[in-house]
Amino acid sequence: MRHFVIVAILVIAMTFLAYFGLVASDLMPVQASAQAVSIDWLWNLELMMISFLFALIVVPMFYSLIVFRRRKGETGDGEHMEGNTTLEVTWTIIPLFIVLAFAYLGAYSLGETRRLDPGAMVINVTAQQFAFSFEYPELGFVSDELYLAVDKQVVLKMTSRDVIHSFWVPEFRIKQDIVPGRVTEYRITPTLLTDEQPFKVRCAELCGASHAYMLSDVRVVTQEDFDVWAAARQEEAAAAAQTPEGRGQALSVANGCLGCHTVDGAAGTGPTWFNLYGRQEQLADGTVVIADDAYIHESIVDPQAKIVAGFESVFMPAYDFTDEQIADIIAYIKTLE
Amino acid sequence: MKTKNPVRRSFLLLLLGGVIGYGLGVGLDVLVTGQLDFAAPLTGMFALLGTSVAYFFGLVGYWGITRGLVWQVIGTLAGGLFVSGIRVLMGLEAFGGFFFSEPAWVFGGLVGGLSFLVGVGAVTDWYKWAKGEPTSEHHHDPEGYVKYFGVSLDHKVIGIQYTVTALLLMGIGGLFAMIFRTELAASQLQFLTTTFRAFDQNGLQFYNTLMSLHGIIMIISILLGVAGMINYLVPLLIGAQDMAFPRLNAFSFWIAVPAAVLLVSALFLGGFDTGWTGYPPLSARSPVGIQMFFLGVFLAGWSSILGGLNLLATVVRMRARGMTAFRMPIFAWAAIATSLISLTATQFIGLSFQLVMFQRLLGMGFFDPTKGGNPVLFQHMFWFYSHPAVYVFVLPGLGIISELLPVFVRKPLYGYRWVAMSSLGIALVGFLVWAHHMFASGMNEYLRVPFMYSTLLVAVPTGVKFFSWVATLWKGKITTPTPMLFVLGAILVFLVGGLTGPPHGTISVDLHLTDTYFVVGHFHDTMFGGYVFPFFAALYYWFPKATGRRMNETLGKLHFWLMTPSFFVLTFAMMRVGLLGMRRRIADYDPLLGFDLSHLIMTIAGYLIFTSVVIFVYNFFHSLKHGELAEGNLWNSRSPEWLVPSPMPVHNYDQAFEVVGEPYDYGLDGSRYVQFEDEKIKDIEG
Amino acid sequence: MAHSDKKAVLNQGVIIFVFLTVLTLLEFFIAITMASVVLLVVIALVKAGLVGYYYMHIYRLNIDDEGGHDSYPYKTGTNRLGLWLFLLSDGFVFAGLAVARFNLLGLTRPHLNQTLGLIVTAVLLISSFFMNRAETSMEHGDRKGFVLGMSITLVLGIAFLLGVVGVEWPQAIHEGITPSSGAEGAIFFMMTGMHAFHVLTGVIFLAVVLRNGMRGLYSGEKHWAVEAAAVYWHFVDVVWIFFYPALYLIGTVVT
Ligand code: HEA
Ligand code: HEA
Ligand code: HEC
Ligand code: CUA
Ligand SMILES: [Cu+2]
Repeated sequence: MRHFVIVAILVIAMTFLAYFGLVASDLMPVQASAQAVSIDWLWNLELMMISFLFALIVVPMFYSLIVFRRRKGETGDGEHMEGNTTLEVTWTIIPLFIVLAFAYLGAYSLGETRRLDPGAMVINVTAQQFAFSFEYPELGFVSDELYLAVDKQVVLKMTSRDVIHSFWVPEFRIKQDIVPGRVTEYRITPTLLTDEQPFKVRCAELCGASHAYMLSDVRVVTQEDFDVWAAARQEEAAAAAQTPEGRGQALSVANGCLGCHTVDGAAGTGPTWFNLYGRQEQLADGTVVIADDAYIHESIVDPQAKIVAGFESVFMPAYDFTDEQIADIIAYIKTLE
Repeated sequence: MKTKNPVRRSFLLLLLGGVIGYGLGVGLDVLVTGQLDFAAPLTGMFALLGTSVAYFFGLVGYWGITRGLVWQVIGTLAGGLFVSGIRVLMGLEAFGGFFFSEPAWVFGGLVGGLSFLVGVGAVTDWYKWAKGEPTSEHHHDPEGYVKYFGVSLDHKVIGIQYTVTALLLMGIGGLFAMIFRTELAASQLQFLTTTFRAFDQNGLQFYNTLMSLHGIIMIISILLGVAGMINYLVPLLIGAQDMAFPRLNAFSFWIAVPAAVLLVSALFLGGFDTGWTGYPPLSARSPVGIQMFFLGVFLAGWSSILGGLNLLATVVRMRARGMTAFRMPIFAWAAIATSLISLTATQFIGLSFQLVMFQRLLGMGFFDPTKGGNPVLFQHMFWFYSHPAVYVFVLPGLGIISELLPVFVRKPLYGYRWVAMSSLGIALVGFLVWAHHMFASGMNEYLRVPFMYSTLLVAVPTGVKFFSWVATLWKGKITTPTPMLFVLGAILVFLVGGLTGPPHGTISVDLHLTDTYFVVGHFHDTMFGGYVFPFFAALYYWFPKATGRRMNETLGKLHFWLMTPSFFVLTFAMMRVGLLGMRRRIADYDPLLGFDLSHLIMTIAGYLIFTSVVIFVYNFFHSLKHGELAEGNLWNSRSPEWLVPSPMPVHNYDQAFEVVGEPYDYGLDGSRYVQFEDEKIKDIEG
Repeated sequence: MAHSDKKAVLNQGVIIFVFLTVLTLLEFFIAITMASVVLLVVIALVKAGLVGYYYMHIYRLNIDDEGGHDSYPYKTGTNRLGLWLFLLSDGFVFAGLAVARFNLLGLTRPHLNQTLGLIVTAVLLISSFFMNRAETSMEHGDRKGFVLGMSITLVLGIAFLLGVVGVEWPQAIHEGITPSSGAEGAIFFMMTGMHAFHVLTGVIFLAVVLRNGMRGLYSGEKHWAVEAAAVYWHFVDVVWIFFYPALYLIGTVVT
C-alpha cells in the first residue's frame, strides 16, 4: 500500500511538472486567427493528457527500477503475479473513454475551425512551383502578396498548376493541401495585425527542388488600410492594362513567373530578368545566345529548347500564351534595367 | 593476392574494384557525353558496382552473392540493351540522359534483379522441381563464415543474413542522415548549394534525394531487421526445425539484396525528390532515379510478403507438441500480427508504385488530373499499406520487450493473454486508420472524423501493453544488464513517440502539425522506441546464442548511455521547431525563425547517435572473435533455446520437446515451460 | 477425397459448371436490361463462392492432417495453407485495382465490346471446368483423364490470352481507348493486363505440371503440384469473375 501512495503522489507531482514545463517552453507561434483558438485549446488539453499519461507510466517504472532492483546477494525471483482481469479491463476501458472523449473534442474543434461566415470574401489562390498568386475576383486584381483585413473571414479557393502544394501560415495554424485538378478551400479569420514583419505562407508539401523557398508574405491590416491597398491595386491594374509592359507585369505575377525569376538581379530558381533583354546568355551546351525577342519567346513556350547554364536541372513549365501576351511580357522584361 | 586474411584481402579488392569501376564510369561517361565529369551518374553507378563485386569476391570468391551481383549487372545491361534495341527499331531515340532511356532502365532494373536471384542460386531448386528433378531434403552449408554469403536454407543463417543486411542499410541510411543533417546545422545553404553538382543534381535536389533515400532505406532496413529477428527466433521459440518453406525463406531474403542495390542506384540516376512517400504528380516528373526507387521498394515488398506468408505457415503448422495458442511465446504472437499485415497490405504499396511507373512509361493517367486521374487516390493506396506498415515496424519490437522483461524482472509477464491479443488488436485496427496521413490532403470531407476515431482507438491496445509492462516491473527483482537497458529505453522512447500520436490523430491539431518537424519527431520516437531499441536489445540478448560469445558489457552500456540521451535531445528539438513552424523536407530554413541553435543541437545529437552505433558495430565484430565465451543458460531464462548449448546446434533441437507449462512462470517453484524427450525418460525412470 | 466415387465428383463438377453458366448468362441479361449494380455484385459473389468451394476446395484447409511433421500429407497441408495465403495476398492486388477502377470511373465504364467480353469469360469458365476434371482424374489415379483435361485447359487458357491481348486490345485501341487516352483506357489496360499476366503465369504452371504429369511424376496419393496448379488456375478465374462485370457490365458507357 505504501508503495502505491508514494507512486500516486509522485505521479501527480510529475504530471504538474511536465505540464507546466511544456506550457512554459512556449511551443506555439503567436495565435493570429479565430480558428487557432479552438486548435490551441485542444492542444492544451492534449498537453495535459500527455503529461499525465507520461507520468503514469514513467513514475512507476522508475520507482520499480529503484525500489525493486535486485540487491547484492539476492538470488530469488520476484513475486508470482500472473495478471488481474479487473485491472486489465480497467486499463482498457479508461483509455477507451479518454480517446473517445478526445475524438469527440477533436470533431468539435474541427467544427469550430470550419464555422463559415456567408459574407466571407473569396480569394482565388493559384500555386505552382514555386510561388503563390492571389486573385481578388471581387476587386479585380491579382497580387503576389496576401493582404487580409483583420477580423474578417476570407475563403481561399485554391488550386495548383502542377504538383501538390500546401498552404500554411503557422500563426493561423491550419494547413490545407493544394491539389492540381481540384479546388480546395481554406477559411480563415485573421485576428492579429502584422507589424513590419509580415506573416508568411509557407508551402508545406514537398513540391520539388525549391520547395523550401516557396513563400509569400501575408499582411493582416485594418479594414481601412485594406481598402486603401485594394484601391491602389485596382488603380494599378487598370493603368497597367493600358500599356503592354503593364499587362506583361500583370501576366508575370498571375502566372507565377516571378516565383522563379527575380526582377532586381538577385539569385532565384531561374535566371534573373534584371537586364535580361539583350544580355549574352551562356547556355548549358556551351553556346552563347543573345536574349532577343525570338529567344525569349522560345524560352517561354518551349523552355527546354535552350537551357541557360547553371539551371540544367530545374524545370520551367511550358506556357501557351498568345503571341500578344508574350509580346507584353517581353515589353515588361525590357523595362527591367 | 597472397594475403591470408580474407577480410584484409576483400578490403584491398574493394579499393581496387572501386577505382576500376569509377574509372570505367568516367570513361564511359566521356564517351557518351563527350565531357569530363567526375560526379556524373555513370561514374557513381560503376564505382558502386565495382566496389561491391570486388569486395565480395575477396571474401568468398566467385560464388553466392558475388555471382548474384555480377549476374545483376549483366542482367541490367542485357535488359537495358534489349529495350534500347527495340526503341531503335521503333524509330525512337535509343539512349537517354542517363545512358539508357527510362523504359530501358526500368526493364533492365527488373531483369537485373531477377538475374541476381538466378545468379545467387535462390531459384535453383524450384527450377529442378519444374523439370521434375529431385532435390535433396537437407542442404549442407559450407563451413565457416562463407555460408552467410550464399544461399542457405537454414533459418538461423537466413536470420543472421537479414540482420547484418539490416545493419548495413541502417549504416547507409544513417550516413545519408549525417550528410543532410550537416547541411541543416545552420540556416542558408552551406555545401548543398545551387551550384553544387553531383550525379546530375544540384544541392537542393541532392538534399531531397538524400532525405528521401534516408527515409526509405531506413524503412527497408527495419523490414529486414524485423524479418531477421523473426526468422532467427520464431522457429527456436516454437521448437521447429526450420521455417515451413525454407526455399521460399531464402528467396525472400535474397530478393531484398538486389532491391537494396536498386534503391541505392537511385542516388546516381538523377535521384528523386519526392520523399519516401513518392506522391504524384511530383513523382511523375522526377528524374529516372524514382523508377529505381519504385522498383527497389517493389522487390523489397515481395521479400516482406513472402516472409509474412512463411511465418504464418510456420506458426500454424510447426509448433512443438503441447504448445497451444496461449502457451506460445509472446514474440510469436507479435510475429503473427506483423505477418498478417505484411502479407496483405504490402500489395498496395507495390500496386500504387506500379501504377505511377506505368503512368510514367505509357502515359497511363491514373494520377494525372488532366487525364481524368486522381492524385489523392494514390495517397489512399499508399497509406493503406504505409500506415499498417508502421505496426510491422513496432509489433515485433514490442514483442521483444514483452519477451525480455520477465527474464530480467524475474516475474511472469503481467496479463499474458491481454498482451498477446493487443498485438492482434493493434494490427487489425491499424488497417482502418490510413487516412489520418491525409487530413490536409483535400480528400473527401466526410472521411475525416471517422478516421480520427479509428486512429485514436489504436491507443487502447497499445496502452494495454504499456500498463502490462509497468505491472510486470512492479515488485520484481530487477537487474539491468545491457539488453535490459535497451528494453527500458525502448519503453521510454516509444512512450514519447506513442503519446505524440493522438495529437496528430485529432484532426484540427494535426492541421497545424502535419508536414512539420513535429511529425518527424513523432516517428523517429516511435521507430526508435518500437524498433531500433528493441532490435539492439535482441542483438545483445541473443548474440551469445548465435555465436557462443558474449558482447562486451562496458561497450554495450556506453552505447546505451550515449545513444539514449542524444536521441531524446534530437527528437525533442525536432518537435519543438516543428510546432514553431519548421516544415519537413526543406534543405534551408528561414534564419528569421531563429531555429539555428536548435538545428545545430540536433545535428550534434545525430552525430552522437551515429557514434554510439559505431561503438556497437565495433563491439559486435570484436566480440565475434574475442568475446567472453557464453556458457549455459546465460540469462537464466525459461525459454527452450537457452536450455541447449550455444551456439545453437545446426538442426536446432536434437530432441523434440513438449510444452508442459506457461512460458513466463518466473517465481513459481517447480514449474517448467518445456520438457525434453530425454528428461521425460529420466522422469519416468526416476 | 480418394474414397469418394470418381463419377460422383465429376458429376458435381458438371452441375457447378451449369450453375456458373446460368449465372453468367443471367448477369449479362441483368446488365443489358436493368443494370442493377447490387444484383451484379451478388451474382459475382455467388459465382466466386461456387468456384471457391467446389473447384478450389477451400474446406480442405480445415482437414486435420494425420502423420508426423515430415509426412507427405502433413507437408501438403502446410503447402496448401501457404498457397492460400499467397492467394489472399495476391487478391489484394486485384482488390486495389478494383478500388482504383471505382474511384476513377465510378459508375461509368469504358466503351468495350460486350459480346467479346462474354466470349472470353466463357472460355475461362470452361477452362476451369476442365481443370477440375483433370484434377479429379489425377486424384483417382487416372493419368489419361488428367492429361486430356489439362491439355484442354491449357489450350483454353492460351485462347483466353489471345482473346484479350490479341483481339480485345487492338479493338479497344481502334475504338480510341489507349493506355494514354485517359483514365478509362489506363484502368482497362491495367486491369486486363495484370490479369493476363496472371493467366500467363498460370499457363506456364499448367504446362510444367502437364509435362511432369505425362512423365508420371504424380500419383493418386501424391499430386500436390496438380492441386496447386488447379487452385491457382481457379483463382485466376475468380478474379475474372469480378473483373468481368467491373469492366463490361457495371455502369453506363462514356464516350
Ligand atoms: C513505428 C512507427 C509508428 C507508430 C507505432 C506510430 C503510432 C501512431 N501514430 Fe504515427 N507515424 C509514423 C510512425 C508511427 N506512428 C510515421 C513514420 C509517420 C509519418 C509518415 C510520413 O509522413 O512520412 C507517422 C505519422 C502519423 C500521423 C500523420 C501525421 C501527419 O502527417 O499529419 C498520425 C495522425 O494521426 C499518426 C498517429 C499515430 C497514432 C495515433 C499512433 C498510435 O499507434 C500511438 C499509440 C500509443 C500511445 C497513445 C502511447 C501509449 C498508450 C497509453 C499510455 C495508453 C493511454 C493513451 C491514451 C488514452 C491516449 N502518426
Ligand atoms: C528507422 C528509421 C529511421 C532512423 C533510424 C532514422 C535516424 C535518423 N534520422 Fe531520420 N527519417 C526516417 C527514418 C529514420 N531516421 C524517415 C522515414 C524519414 C522521412 C523521410 C521523408 O520525409 O521522406 C526521416 C527523416 C528525417 C529527417 C527529416 C528530413 C526532412 O524532412 O528534411 C531528419 C532531420 O533531421 C532525420 C534525422 C535523422 C537522424 C539524425 C537520425 C540518426 O539517428 C541517424 C544515426 C545513425 C544511425 C542510427 C546509423 C548508424 C549505423 C551504423 C554506423 C551501422 C554501420 C553498420 C555496419 C557497417 C554493419 N530523419
Ligand atoms: C519553376 C520555375 C519557373 C517558373 C515558374 C518560370 N520560369 Fe522561366 N525559367 C526558369 C528556369 C530554371 C530557367 C532557365 C533554364 C532555361 O533556360 O530553360 C528559365 C528561363 C526563362 C527565360 C530565359 C531567361 C534567360 O536568362 O535566358 C525566360 C524568358 C523565362 N524563363 C520566362 C518565364 C516566364 C514568362 C514565366 C511565367 C509565365 C516563367 N519564366 C516562369 C524557371 C521558371
Ligand atoms: Cu510548393 Cu512545396
Ligand atoms: Cu499512420
